Amino acid sequence: MSSSIKVARYHLVYPFLLVLAPWAVLALVFVINLIPTVIQGGPNPTKALASIFAFMAFAGVLTIIRSLPFALALGASRRSFYLGTVTLVVALAVVYGLAIAGLQALERATGGWGVSMYFFQPQYILTGAWYLTWLTSFVCLVLLFLYGTWFGLVQQRWDTIGLIVFVFGQVVVALVAIFIIGGNHDWHGVGHFFTTITAAGLTGLLAAFAAALCAGGFALIRGVTV
Amino acid sequence: MTPAISLTGVSRRYRDQLALDGIDLVIDGPSITGLLGRNGAGKTTLLRIIAAHEFASAGRIAVLGADPVENDAVLARIAFVREDQAFPQFRVRHALEAASSFFPNWDAELAGELAADFELPMNRWVSKLSRGMRSALSVVIGLAARAEVTLFDEPYAGLDAVARGVFYDRLLADYAEHPRVVMLSSHLIDEVSGLLERVVMLDRGRIVLDAAADEVRGAFTRVSGAAEAVEEFVAGRAVLERRRIASQEAAVVAGGLDDGDRPWAQELRVSLEPLSLQQVLIHTSAHAGRQRKEGTSA
Amino acid sequence: MLDDATPIFTQIAERLADEIADGGISEGERVPSTNELATYYRINPATAAKGVNVLIDDGLLEKRRGIGMFVAAGARDRLLEDRRMRFAERYVEPLVAEANRLGLDGDELIDLVRQSSHAFGALER
Repeated sequence: MSSSIKVARYHLVYPFLLVLAPWAVLALVFVINLIPTVIQGGPNPTKALASIFAFMAFAGVLTIIRSLPFALALGASRRSFYLGTVTLVVALAVVYGLAIAGLQALERATGGWGVSMYFFQPQYILTGAWYLTWLTSFVCLVLLFLYGTWFGLVQQRWDTIGLIVFVFGQVVVALVAIFIIGGNHDWHGVGHFFTTITAAGLTGLLAAFAAALCAGGFALIRGVTV
Repeated sequence: MTPAISLTGVSRRYRDQLALDGIDLVIDGPSITGLLGRNGAGKTTLLRIIAAHEFASAGRIAVLGADPVENDAVLARIAFVREDQAFPQFRVRHALEAASSFFPNWDAELAGELAADFELPMNRWVSKLSRGMRSALSVVIGLAARAEVTLFDEPYAGLDAVARGVFYDRLLADYAEHPRVVMLSSHLIDEVSGLLERVVMLDRGRIVLDAAADEVRGAFTRVSGAAEAVEEFVAGRAVLERRRIASQEAAVVAGGLDDGDRPWAQELRVSLEPLSLQQVLIHTSAHAGRQRKEGTSA
Repeated sequence: MLDDATPIFTQIAERLADEIADGGISEGERVPSTNELATYYRINPATAAKGVNVLIDDGLLEKRRGIGMFVAAGARDRLLEDRRMRFAERYVEPLVAEANRLGLDGDELIDLVRQSSHAFGALER
């Protein structure tokens, strides 16, 4: 049996981080939003769907910090761990994206669960056809997971100091970008970009970014010691 | 035949420290080798490099004929047991199930028996286990894996004396039925002494002793009695240590005893006491330390 | 159980020899296997095997393939004979040396030996 498949099966022995927790969190957040909506009456256009996406980033971090060491102890190579894990997450994300699209359709059909709560169709986002919702959710789930793994990998390789540098570096890059854009009075350009780009185009961009994170993560993990 | 483990000139440098310095080690086949030395001597680093958990800064490593780094085929045949193993969110039975899919020689029946021996609760979360139980779990995985190369890095540090006894007994029993290459690092030298065929001792990242266990046991002798008698007995021998109190003296000499020594010792009325493995290693370590201070190489 | 004075495999061989000499294992009877010895003494099976091989090389044990190791015919007699020969060197000479130091002469020594022998004989009965 290929080593990557062994890794995928390993995660599924008790899939806490990748299956149980994300949906448990989403269910909890859903209920937390539903109750006040029922009590006060809708409409309630919440953005809380973000919770499952945010959790995927958290799952990425913990997968590296907790799942990787034991997998290495059992004889998986770092490459197999990364490939097997990412492959599993991609497969899961296909299913989850479909589930989100399905729940969105159900929400529309029931008029916001009968109380006008728009949980699965946040304003301005995921407003397209069901297959675009599926695609965008899929890409974002994978992207955030990979982003999370970077934090874990940096921490394992370069400790807390490396992690601080990593976070700080991103903040610096963001500030520099803002400075440059602001300096050139180019905010209109940025706004224009985001309104003209199609959902599919944006998703494509995110997918490209995810692919870059994946390649980078694969390179990073080779130097990790646990 | 290809040796099971072969290290040539292996070094591991951290920013300001040389954890391993030019290690040459060959282990040919099934055997139990003790890896001994003080804290910080480099035992853990050495084992981690063999298991490809750490990377060498220099030198060549071959396990079962190939470089183990990122080598799935070889890694499947190595089991590395450490005391402070991190586990994901698993119950004990999940951890064993996970191990079963990775190790081709995994024996589920043995795992069950060992878990019972150590009284491991199958349904408890690993994170809720005591330190000793977690060590026991790591040990169970290491033994039931029946990996051709099995490395134990002081996994019994968290086990109580009874559990350690269980470990030694079970290790020996399974090793007798299924011989494999075992390396065992330990502080508790005299406890494991009988298990070992070979002893490798590290001091500050270097091998200072690599010999058959039988040779090392009794390699040094303590001669004690009246000072003049002791001096007469040890004349012409390498003396490693001398202690005096009033008119009594105890001296540690190197070299075994031959047939003529015992009667002569009786005549001189000095008592001869062969040093245990642990005591030999303490002296070897002290000797290496002295040589370092004098600036000569070990 | 085992001490550090002599190599472990030598001690294994000696203990087995003692058992044979004392009649604990009779001729033609099976001796424990190397794995059984390894488990009992908590030692490496290779060390146990080494000890057993000493006795095989001396012709005191014989190996029957697939079954185990057995005490050879005449082993007990040979061991007792061997001990008799070494008795003087191991026990009598140190005894005499010590007696000398204490200033006992030959007759006093023999008296002591006789007394001890009687006491031992009484214990035996």
